[in-house]
Amino acid sequence: MTLLEVERLEAFYGDFQALFGLSMRVEAGETVALIGANGAGKSTFLRCLVGLLDDKRGAIRFAGQPIDREPAERISRLGLSLVPEGRLLFPSLTVEENLLMGALNERPGSWTLRRVYDLFPVLAERRRQMPNALSGGQQHMVAIGRALMSNPRLLLCDEISLGLAPVVVDQIYQSFARIRSEGASIVLVEQDVKRASTAADRLYCLLKGRVTLEGSARRIGLDQLSRAYFGA
Amino acid sequence: MIWVETVVNGMLYGGLYGLLGVGLALIVGVMRVVNLSHGEFIVLSAFIGVSLSGMLPWVYPLALLLPVAIIAFGLGFLLQAALVNRVVTRPDPFASILLTFGVAVVMRNLMVEGFGADPRNIPSGRLAHASLAIGGLSVGVLPVFILALSVALFTALQLVLTRTRFGRIVRATADNRDVVRLMGVNPGRVYNAVMGLSLALASVAGMLLAMRSSFTPYSGVERLLVAFEVVVLGGLGTFWGAMAGGIVLGVAELLGLRFDPNAGPLYAHLLFLAGVLLRPNGLFRART
Repeated sequence: MTLLEVERLEAFYGDFQALFGLSMRVEAGETVALIGANGAGKSTFLRCLVGLLDDKRGAIRFAGQPIDREPAERISRLGLSLVPEGRLLFPSLTVEENLLMGALNERPGSWTLRRVYDLFPVLAERRRQMPNALSGGQQHMVAIGRALMSNPRLLLCDEISLGLAPVVVDQIYQSFARIRSEGASIVLVEQDVKRASTAADRLYCLLKGRVTLEGSARRIGLDQLSRAYFGA
Repeated sequence: MIWVETVVNGMLYGGLYGLLGVGLALIVGVMRVVNLSHGEFIVLSAFIGVSLSGMLPWVYPLALLLPVAIIAFGLGFLLQAALVNRVVTRPDPFASILLTFGVAVVMRNLMVEGFGADPRNIPSGRLAHASLAIGGLSVGVLPVFILALSVALFTALQLVLTRTRFGRIVRATADNRDVVRLMGVNPGRVYNAVMGLSLALASVAGMLLAMRSSFTPYSGVERLLVAFEVVVLGGLGTFWGAMAGGIVLGVAELLGLRFDPNAGPLYAHLLFLAGVLLRPNGLFRART
Protein backbone atom coordinates (compact mmCIF):
# COMPACT_ATOMS: atom_id res chain seq x y z
CA MET A 1 0.00 0.00 0.00
CA THR A 2 1.24 3.48 -0.81
CA LEU A 3 1.34 5.57 2.37
CA LEU A 4 2.57 8.86 0.96
CA GLU A 5 2.25 10.08 -2.59
CA VAL A 6 3.58 13.42 -3.76
CA GLU A 7 3.00 14.66 -7.30
CA ARG A 8 4.63 17.64 -9.01
CA LEU A 9 5.14 19.59 -5.81
CA GLU A 10 6.26 23.20 -6.12
CA ALA A 11 7.02 25.38 -3.11
CA PHE A 12 7.70 29.08 -2.73
CA TYR A 13 9.15 31.53 -0.21
CA GLY A 14 7.75 34.76 -1.56
CA ASP A 15 9.29 35.23 -5.03
CA PHE A 16 11.79 32.46 -4.50
CA GLN A 17 10.85 29.02 -5.77
CA ALA A 18 12.41 26.21 -3.71
CA LEU A 19 10.84 23.06 -5.20
CA PHE A 20 10.25 22.41 -8.91
CA GLY A 21 7.74 19.63 -9.62
CA LEU A 22 8.96 17.13 -7.09
CA SER A 23 7.33 13.68 -7.07
CA MET A 24 7.93 10.84 -4.64
CA ARG A 25 6.17 8.03 -2.80
CA VAL A 26 6.63 6.01 0.38
CA GLU A 27 5.16 2.51 0.71
CA ALA A 28 3.87 1.26 4.04
CA GLY A 29 6.69 -0.22 6.12
CA GLU A 30 9.40 1.32 3.97
CA THR A 31 12.37 3.44 4.97
CA VAL A 32 13.16 6.08 2.38
CA ALA A 33 16.23 8.30 2.40
CA LEU A 34 16.21 11.80 1.00
CA ILE A 35 19.72 13.01 0.29
CA GLY A 36 21.11 16.16 -1.20
CA ALA A 37 23.46 19.04 -0.53
CA ASN A 38 22.62 22.15 1.47
CA GLY A 39 19.84 24.11 -0.18
CA ALA A 40 18.60 21.18 -2.26
CA GLY A 41 15.11 21.63 -0.78
CA LYS A 42 15.01 18.67 1.62
CA SER A 43 13.79 20.60 4.64
CA THR A 44 11.41 22.64 2.52
CA PHE A 45 9.95 19.39 1.24
CA LEU A 46 9.35 18.13 4.79
CA ARG A 47 7.80 21.45 5.79
CA CYS A 48 5.37 21.07 2.88
CA LEU A 49 4.42 17.56 3.97
CA VAL A 50 3.58 18.50 7.57
CA GLY A 51 1.70 21.65 6.55
CA LEU A 52 4.06 24.31 7.90
CA LEU A 53 4.55 25.79 4.43
CA ASP A 54 1.37 27.06 2.81
CA ASP A 55 2.71 28.55 -0.40
CA LYS A 56 2.79 25.41 -2.52
CA ARG A 57 1.27 23.73 -5.58
CA GLY A 58 0.86 20.09 -6.48
CA ALA A 59 -0.76 17.07 -4.82
CA ILE A 60 0.14 15.39 -1.53
CA ARG A 61 -1.84 12.31 -0.50
CA PHE A 62 -1.35 10.59 2.83
CA ALA A 63 -3.02 7.16 3.22
CA GLY A 64 -5.13 8.04 0.20
CA GLN A 65 -6.32 11.35 1.61
CA PRO A 66 -5.31 14.70 0.07
CA ILE A 67 -3.48 16.77 2.71
CA ASP A 68 -1.91 19.58 0.71
CA ARG A 69 -4.54 22.10 1.85
CA GLU A 70 -4.81 20.85 5.43
CA PRO A 71 -3.33 22.85 8.34
CA ALA A 72 -0.42 21.37 10.28
CA GLU A 73 -2.47 20.59 13.40
CA ARG A 74 -4.86 18.41 11.37
CA ILE A 75 -2.10 16.62 9.45
CA SER A 76 -0.37 15.61 12.69
CA ARG A 77 -3.56 13.92 13.84
CA LEU A 78 -3.51 11.75 10.71
CA GLY A 79 -0.21 10.22 11.82
CA LEU A 80 2.50 12.24 10.10
CA SER A 81 5.18 13.21 12.58
CA LEU A 82 8.30 15.32 12.13
CA VAL A 83 11.60 15.29 14.01
CA PRO A 84 12.59 18.81 12.99
CA GLU A 85 16.05 19.94 12.02
CA GLY A 86 17.78 21.41 15.06
CA ARG A 87 15.38 19.38 17.26
CA LEU A 88 13.28 22.39 18.29
CA LEU A 89 12.46 21.08 21.75
CA PHE A 90 10.45 23.27 24.11
CA PRO A 91 13.05 24.88 26.41
CA SER A 92 10.55 25.74 29.19
CA LEU A 93 9.34 22.16 29.46
CA THR A 94 11.10 19.26 31.17
CA VAL A 95 12.19 16.24 29.14
CA GLU A 96 9.10 14.33 30.20
CA GLU A 97 6.79 17.27 29.46
CA ASN A 98 8.36 17.53 26.00
CA LEU A 99 7.58 13.87 25.40
CA LEU A 100 4.01 14.30 26.66
CA MET A 101 3.45 17.09 24.12
CA GLY A 102 3.76 14.41 21.44
CA ALA A 103 0.91 12.44 22.98
CA LEU A 104 -1.53 15.37 22.76
CA ASN A 105 -3.25 14.24 19.60
CA GLU A 106 -4.17 10.98 21.33
CA ARG A 107 -3.59 8.63 18.44
CA PRO A 108 -3.95 5.01 19.57
CA GLY A 109 -0.86 2.83 19.28
CA SER A 110 1.91 1.09 21.11
CA TRP A 111 4.16 4.08 21.91
CA THR A 112 3.88 5.31 25.49
CA LEU A 113 6.21 7.12 27.88
CA ARG A 114 7.41 3.72 29.14
CA ARG A 115 8.18 2.40 25.67
CA VAL A 116 10.11 5.56 24.80
CA TYR A 117 12.12 5.22 28.03
CA ASP A 118 12.78 1.56 27.10
CA LEU A 119 14.09 2.71 23.74
CA PHE A 120 16.26 5.50 25.19
CA PRO A 121 16.97 4.55 28.85
CA VAL A 122 19.07 7.66 29.44
CA LEU A 123 15.95 9.82 29.03
CA ALA A 124 14.28 8.09 31.98
CA GLU A 125 17.14 9.20 34.22
CA ARG A 126 16.86 12.76 32.96
CA ARG A 127 13.09 13.06 32.73
CA ARG A 128 12.87 15.96 35.22
CA GLN A 129 15.67 18.01 33.63
CA MET A 130 15.35 20.82 31.13
CA PRO A 131 16.34 19.90 27.57
CA ASN A 132 19.17 22.46 27.51
CA ALA A 133 20.93 20.48 30.24
CA LEU A 134 21.15 17.45 27.92
CA SER A 135 23.84 16.59 25.37
CA GLY A 136 23.07 17.01 21.68
CA GLY A 137 22.50 13.30 21.19
CA GLN A 138 20.15 13.10 24.14
CA GLN A 139 18.23 16.09 22.82
CA HIS A 140 17.81 14.22 19.54
CA MET A 141 16.44 11.28 21.48
CA VAL A 142 13.88 13.57 23.10
CA ALA A 143 12.89 14.93 19.69
CA ILE A 144 12.49 11.41 18.28
CA GLY A 145 10.63 10.25 21.39
CA ARG A 146 8.30 13.25 21.19
CA ALA A 147 7.49 12.39 17.59
CA LEU A 148 6.95 8.72 18.44
CA MET A 149 4.53 9.55 21.26
CA SER A 150 1.94 10.46 18.61
CA ASN A 151 2.15 6.90 17.24
CA PRO A 152 2.95 8.07 13.71
CA ARG A 153 2.34 6.01 10.59
CA LEU A 154 5.14 7.97 8.96
CA LEU A 155 8.09 9.41 10.87
CA LEU A 156 10.02 12.20 9.12
CA CYS A 157 13.56 12.73 10.44
CA ASP A 158 15.37 15.89 9.37
CA GLU A 159 19.19 15.73 9.61
CA ILE A 160 19.35 13.81 12.84
CA SER A 161 23.05 13.00 12.49
CA LEU A 162 24.05 16.64 12.13
CA GLY A 163 26.64 17.70 14.70
CA LEU A 164 26.64 14.41 16.63
CA ALA A 165 29.48 12.03 17.45
CA PRO A 166 29.42 8.93 15.19
CA VAL A 167 28.84 6.61 18.19
CA VAL A 168 25.72 8.55 19.13
CA VAL A 169 24.48 8.51 15.55
CA ASP A 170 24.93 4.71 15.49
CA GLN A 171 22.86 4.45 18.62
CA ILE A 172 20.07 6.56 17.13
CA TYR A 173 20.11 4.63 13.85
CA GLN A 174 19.85 1.38 15.79
CA SER A 175 16.59 2.62 17.27
CA PHE A 176 15.05 2.73 13.78
CA ALA A 177 14.76 -1.06 13.69
CA ARG A 178 12.56 -0.94 16.80
CA ILE A 179 10.54 1.95 15.41
CA ARG A 180 9.90 0.07 12.16
CA SER A 181 8.93 -3.09 13.99
CA GLU A 182 6.14 -1.08 15.65
CA GLY A 183 4.75 -0.46 12.18
CA ALA A 184 5.94 3.04 11.28
CA SER A 185 7.45 4.00 7.94
CA ILE A 186 10.41 6.38 8.00
CA VAL A 187 11.70 9.16 5.78
CA LEU A 188 15.30 10.08 6.55
CA VAL A 189 16.77 13.33 5.40
CA GLU A 190 20.53 13.03 5.43
CA GLN A 191 23.71 14.65 4.20
CA ASP A 192 25.68 11.55 5.12
CA VAL A 193 25.08 9.57 1.92
CA LYS A 194 26.68 6.33 3.06
CA ARG A 195 24.70 6.14 6.26
CA ALA A 196 21.48 6.96 4.45
CA SER A 197 21.94 4.30 1.81
CA THR A 198 22.66 1.56 4.33
CA ALA A 199 19.67 2.44 6.50
CA ALA A 200 17.12 2.92 3.72
CA ASP A 201 15.26 0.65 1.29
CA ARG A 202 15.03 3.30 -1.39
CA LEU A 203 16.51 6.71 -1.83
CA TYR A 204 15.83 9.96 -3.62
CA CYS A 205 18.55 12.43 -4.43
CA LEU A 206 17.56 16.09 -4.59
CA LEU A 207 19.38 18.89 -6.35
CA LYS A 208 18.13 22.47 -6.49
CA GLY A 209 14.52 21.51 -5.81
CA ARG A 210 14.35 18.59 -8.28
CA VAL A 211 14.72 14.82 -7.96
CA THR A 212 17.88 13.89 -9.86
CA LEU A 213 17.96 10.21 -8.95
CA GLU A 214 15.70 7.63 -7.37
CA GLY A 215 15.90 3.90 -6.84
CA SER A 216 16.71 1.00 -4.58
CA ALA A 217 19.36 2.04 -2.08
CA ARG A 218 21.37 -1.13 -2.68
CA ARG A 219 21.50 -0.89 -6.47
CA ILE A 220 22.58 2.68 -6.89
CA GLY A 221 26.33 3.00 -7.45
CA LEU A 222 28.42 5.60 -5.69
CA ASP A 223 29.54 7.44 -8.83
CA GLN A 224 25.99 7.56 -10.11
CA LEU A 225 24.99 9.03 -6.77
CA SER A 226 27.73 11.63 -6.65
CA ARG A 227 26.74 12.85 -10.14
CA ALA A 228 23.13 13.24 -8.96
CA TYR A 229 24.26 14.85 -5.70
CA PHE A 230 26.57 17.46 -7.20
CA GLY A 231 24.91 17.77 -10.61
CA ALA A 232 28.20 17.23 -12.39
CA MET B 1 3.79 53.99 64.06
CA ILE B 2 1.71 55.69 61.42
CA TRP B 3 4.55 55.17 58.93
CA VAL B 4 4.69 51.44 59.65
CA GLU B 5 0.95 51.31 59.16
CA THR B 6 1.31 53.08 55.85
CA VAL B 7 3.96 50.65 54.67
CA VAL B 8 1.82 47.67 55.67
CA ASN B 9 -1.26 49.08 53.93
CA GLY B 10 0.86 49.84 50.87
CA MET B 11 2.04 46.26 50.76
CA LEU B 12 -1.51 45.02 51.07
CA TYR B 13 -2.73 47.22 48.20
CA GLY B 14 0.35 46.28 46.20
CA GLY B 15 -1.14 42.83 45.60
CA LEU B 16 -3.83 44.58 43.60
CA TYR B 17 -1.27 46.34 41.43
CA GLY B 18 0.41 42.98 40.97
CA LEU B 19 -2.85 41.54 39.65
CA LEU B 20 -3.17 44.46 37.21
CA GLY B 21 0.27 43.68 35.87
CA VAL B 22 0.21 39.91 35.79
CA GLY B 23 -2.45 39.75 33.09
CA LEU B 24 -0.36 42.02 30.90
CA ALA B 25 2.79 39.98 31.65
CA LEU B 26 0.99 36.78 30.72
CA ILE B 27 0.09 38.12 27.25
CA VAL B 28 3.58 39.47 26.64
CA GLY B 29 5.12 36.19 27.77
CA VAL B 30 2.89 33.86 25.80
CA MET B 31 2.26 35.74 22.54
CA ARG B 32 4.71 38.69 22.54
CA VAL B 33 1.81 41.10 22.24
CA VAL B 34 1.50 44.29 24.27
CA ASN B 35 -2.20 44.70 24.90
CA LEU B 36 -2.80 48.45 24.96
CA SER B 37 -6.51 47.90 25.62
CA HIS B 38 -5.73 46.14 28.93
CA GLY B 39 -6.68 49.25 30.93
CA GLU B 40 -9.98 49.74 29.09
CA PHE B 41 -10.98 46.15 29.83
CA ILE B 42 -10.19 46.73 33.50
CA VAL B 43 -12.48 49.76 33.48
CA LEU B 44 -15.17 47.93 31.52
CA SER B 45 -15.11 45.16 34.14
CA ALA B 46 -15.68 47.77 36.83
CA PHE B 47 -18.64 49.19 34.87
CA ILE B 48 -20.06 45.70 34.51
CA GLY B 49 -19.62 45.33 38.28
CA VAL B 50 -21.41 48.65 38.92
CA SER B 51 -24.27 47.65 36.62
CA LEU B 52 -24.63 44.22 38.20
CA SER B 53 -24.64 45.63 41.72
CA GLY B 54 -27.27 48.15 40.58
CA MET B 55 -29.43 45.35 39.22
CA LEU B 56 -28.85 43.07 42.19
CA PRO B 57 -28.61 45.47 45.16
CA TRP B 58 -29.06 42.68 47.72
CA VAL B 59 -25.93 40.88 46.51
CA TYR B 60 -22.76 41.74 48.38
CA PRO B 61 -20.32 43.43 45.92
CA LEU B 62 -17.46 41.02 46.60
CA ALA B 63 -19.72 38.16 45.51
CA LEU B 64 -19.79 39.78 42.06
CA LEU B 65 -16.06 39.20 41.53
CA LEU B 66 -16.57 35.71 40.12
CA PRO B 67 -19.39 36.50 37.66
CA VAL B 68 -17.53 39.59 36.43
CA ALA B 69 -14.34 37.53 36.00
CA ILE B 70 -16.26 34.97 33.95
CA ILE B 71 -17.71 37.72 31.74
CA ALA B 72 -14.20 39.21 31.35
CA PHE B 73 -12.85 35.81 30.35
CA GLY B 74 -15.50 35.64 27.62
CA LEU B 75 -14.65 39.17 26.41
CA GLY B 76 -10.94 38.32 26.29
CA PHE B 77 -11.66 35.14 24.38
CA LEU B 78 -13.74 37.08 21.84
CA LEU B 79 -11.17 39.90 21.53
CA GLN B 80 -8.47 37.36 20.75
CA ALA B 81 -10.52 35.17 18.41
CA ALA B 82 -12.08 38.04 16.46
CA LEU B 83 -9.17 40.49 16.26
CA VAL B 84 -5.79 39.82 17.85
CA ASN B 85 -5.29 36.39 16.27
CA ARG B 86 -5.34 38.10 12.87
CA VAL B 87 -2.16 40.03 13.63
CA VAL B 88 -0.38 37.90 16.22
CA THR B 89 1.61 35.90 13.67
CA ARG B 90 2.98 38.97 11.91
CA PRO B 91 6.68 39.50 12.47
CA ASP B 92 6.43 43.23 13.15
CA PRO B 93 5.01 44.18 16.56
CA PHE B 94 3.34 47.34 15.27
CA ALA B 95 0.32 45.52 13.90
CA SER B 96 -0.75 44.28 17.31
CA ILE B 97 0.13 47.57 19.02
CA LEU B 98 -1.97 49.57 16.54
CA LEU B 99 -4.82 47.09 16.76
CA THR B 100 -5.03 47.09 20.56
CA PHE B 101 -4.58 50.87 20.64
CA GLY B 102 -7.55 51.17 18.27
CA VAL B 103 -9.62 48.82 20.40
CA ALA B 104 -8.79 50.96 23.44
CA VAL B 105 -9.93 54.18 21.74
CA VAL B 106 -13.16 52.63 20.51
CA MET B 107 -13.92 51.11 23.91
CA ARG B 108 -13.23 54.34 25.78
CA ASN B 109 -15.68 56.23 23.59
CA LEU B 110 -18.31 53.50 23.74
CA MET B 111 -18.07 53.55 27.54
CA VAL B 112 -18.55 57.33 27.63
CA GLU B 113 -21.54 56.87 25.34
CA GLY B 114 -23.00 54.01 27.35
CA PHE B 115 -22.19 54.89 30.96
CA GLY B 116 -21.53 58.64 30.87
CA ALA B 117 -18.37 60.42 32.00
CA ASP B 118 -19.29 60.82 35.71
CA PRO B 119 -17.00 59.22 38.28
CA ARG B 120 -18.40 55.98 39.69
CA ASN B 121 -17.41 53.53 42.32
CA ILE B 122 -18.53 50.16 43.57
CA PRO B 123 -19.95 50.46 47.09
CA SER B 124 -18.05 48.16 49.39
CA GLY B 125 -20.21 48.88 52.44
CA ARG B 126 -18.83 48.60 55.92
CA LEU B 127 -15.84 46.59 54.73
CA ALA B 128 -14.23 49.71 53.26
CA HIS B 129 -13.79 51.23 56.70
CA ALA B 130 -13.47 48.15 58.88
CA SER B 131 -10.06 47.65 60.36
CA LEU B 132 -8.20 45.18 62.50
CA ALA B 133 -5.81 45.99 65.30
CA ILE B 134 -2.77 43.76 64.89
CA GLY B 135 0.05 44.31 67.37
CA GLY B 136 -0.86 47.94 67.85
CA LEU B 137 -1.20 48.54 64.09
CA SER B 138 -4.49 49.42 62.49
CA VAL B 139 -4.88 47.44 59.27
CA GLY B 140 -7.87 47.66 56.93
CA VAL B 141 -9.93 44.51 56.45
CA LEU B 142 -10.42 45.14 52.75
CA PRO B 143 -6.67 45.50 52.04
CA VAL B 144 -5.98 42.25 53.91
CA PHE B 145 -8.66 40.51 51.88
CA ILE B 146 -7.22 42.00 48.67
CA LEU B 147 -3.71 40.76 49.41
CA ALA B 148 -4.96 37.30 50.38
CA LEU B 149 -6.99 37.09 47.18
CA SER B 150 -4.04 38.29 45.06
CA VAL B 151 -1.71 35.73 46.59
CA ALA B 152 -4.31 33.00 46.06
CA LEU B 153 -4.80 33.99 42.41
CA PHE B 154 -1.04 34.19 41.79
CA THR B 155 -0.54 30.77 43.32
CA ALA B 156 -3.41 29.32 41.30
CA LEU B 157 -2.02 30.79 38.08
CA GLN B 158 1.41 29.40 38.85
CA LEU B 159 0.00 25.94 39.57
CA VAL B 160 -2.12 25.94 36.43
CA LEU B 161 0.87 26.90 34.30
CA THR B 162 3.35 24.45 35.82
CA ARG B 163 1.24 21.45 36.81
CA THR B 164 -1.58 21.01 34.33
CA ARG B 165 -1.85 19.79 30.77
CA PHE B 166 -3.27 23.17 29.78
CA GLY B 167 -0.28 24.93 31.36
CA ARG B 168 2.11 22.66 29.50
CA ILE B 169 0.43 23.53 26.22
CA VAL B 170 0.58 27.26 27.04
CA ARG B 171 4.31 27.11 27.87
CA ALA B 172 5.06 25.07 24.76
CA THR B 173 3.09 27.50 22.57
CA ALA B 174 5.01 30.41 24.12
CA ASP B 175 8.26 28.60 23.26
CA ASN B 176 7.42 27.85 19.64
CA ARG B 177 4.05 28.34 18.04
CA ASP B 178 4.97 26.43 14.86
CA VAL B 179 6.25 23.29 16.54
CA VAL B 180 3.15 22.86 18.73
CA ARG B 181 1.12 22.64 15.53
CA LEU B 182 3.06 19.46 14.74
CA MET B 183 1.54 18.05 17.93
CA GLY B 184 -2.00 18.90 16.89
CA VAL B 185 -2.26 22.13 18.89
CA ASN B 186 -3.97 25.13 17.29
CA PRO B 187 -2.02 28.13 18.69
CA GLY B 188 -4.94 30.49 18.07
CA ARG B 189 -7.15 28.53 20.46
CA VAL B 190 -4.46 28.58 23.12
CA TYR B 191 -4.19 32.35 22.71
CA ASN B 192 -7.97 32.73 23.07
CA ALA B 193 -7.90 31.02 26.45
CA VAL B 194 -4.80 32.93 27.59
CA MET B 195 -6.32 36.31 26.70
CA GLY B 196 -9.47 35.29 28.56
CA LEU B 197 -7.38 34.39 31.61
CA SER B 198 -5.44 37.65 31.41
CA LEU B 199 -8.59 39.77 31.37
CA ALA B 200 -10.28 37.68 34.05
CA LEU B 201 -7.36 38.42 36.41
CA ALA B 202 -7.42 42.08 35.39
CA SER B 203 -11.17 42.29 35.99
CA VAL B 204 -10.75 41.20 39.62
CA ALA B 205 -8.19 43.96 40.08
CA GLY B 206 -10.49 46.42 38.28
CA MET B 207 -13.43 45.62 40.56
CA LEU B 208 -11.35 45.93 43.73
CA LEU B 209 -9.79 49.21 42.56
CA ALA B 210 -13.29 50.53 41.92
CA MET B 211 -14.16 49.74 45.54
CA ARG B 212 -11.17 51.70 46.73
CA SER B 213 -11.54 54.80 44.58
CA SER B 214 -13.79 56.13 41.88
CA PHE B 215 -13.20 55.69 38.16
CA THR B 216 -14.41 57.13 34.84
CA PRO B 217 -14.34 55.78 31.28
CA TYR B 218 -10.99 57.57 30.97
CA SER B 219 -9.35 55.70 33.85
CA GLY B 220 -8.05 52.96 31.58
CA VAL B 221 -4.86 54.85 30.76
CA GLU B 222 -3.91 55.15 34.44
CA ARG B 223 -4.64 51.45 34.97
CA LEU B 224 -2.52 50.52 31.98
CA LEU B 225 0.30 52.74 33.21
CA VAL B 226 0.33 51.00 36.58
CA ALA B 227 0.20 47.61 34.87
CA PHE B 228 3.18 48.56 32.69
CA GLU B 229 5.18 49.81 35.66
CA VAL B 230 4.48 46.63 37.58
CA VAL B 231 5.53 44.43 34.70
CA VAL B 232 8.68 46.36 33.84
CA LEU B 233 9.71 46.80 37.47
CA GLY B 234 9.18 43.11 38.18
CA GLY B 235 11.04 41.99 35.08
CA LEU B 236 9.18 41.12 31.87
CA GLY B 237 7.41 37.79 31.89
CA THR B 238 7.95 36.84 35.53
CA PHE B 239 4.81 36.43 37.61
CA TRP B 240 6.14 36.68 41.15
CA GLY B 241 8.27 39.58 39.95
CA ALA B 242 5.03 41.30 38.92
CA MET B 243 3.63 40.70 42.40
CA ALA B 244 6.75 42.12 44.04
CA GLY B 245 6.76 45.07 41.61
CA GLY B 246 3.13 45.76 42.53
CA ILE B 247 3.93 45.75 46.24
CA VAL B 248 6.87 48.12 45.76
CA LEU B 249 4.65 50.54 43.83
CA GLY B 250 1.83 50.27 46.35
CA VAL B 251 4.14 51.12 49.25
CA ALA B 252 5.69 54.02 47.32
CA GLU B 253 2.29 55.45 46.48
CA LEU B 254 0.89 55.34 50.01
CA LEU B 255 4.12 56.64 51.55
CA GLY B 256 4.13 59.46 49.01
CA LEU B 257 0.54 60.34 49.89
CA ARG B 258 1.33 60.37 53.59
CA PHE B 259 4.31 62.63 52.94
CA ASP B 260 2.47 64.94 50.58
CA PRO B 261 -1.33 64.46 50.34
CA ASN B 262 -1.51 66.22 46.96
CA ALA B 263 1.09 64.03 45.29
CA GLY B 264 -1.25 61.33 43.93
CA PRO B 265 0.74 58.51 42.41
CA LEU B 266 3.72 60.80 41.72
CA TYR B 267 6.10 59.02 44.09
CA ALA B 268 5.24 55.62 42.67
CA HIS B 269 6.07 56.92 39.18
CA LEU B 270 9.34 58.45 40.43
CA LEU B 271 10.28 55.16 42.06
CA PHE B 272 9.53 53.41 38.80
CA LEU B 273 11.77 55.83 36.94
CA ALA B 274 14.59 55.24 39.40
CA GLY B 275 14.05 51.49 39.17
CA VAL B 276 14.27 51.49 35.38
CA LEU B 277 17.44 53.61 35.45
CA LEU B 278 19.17 51.47 38.08
CA ARG B 279 17.91 47.99 37.18
CA PRO B 280 16.85 48.06 33.50
CA ASN B 281 16.13 44.31 33.51
CA GLY B 282 13.72 44.49 36.42
CA LEU B 283 14.23 44.29 40.14
CA PHE B 284 13.70 40.57 40.29
CA ARG B 285 15.17 38.66 37.43
CA ALA B 286 14.01 35.06 37.21
CA ARG B 287 12.91 32.61 34.61
CA THR B 288 9.23 31.84 34.14
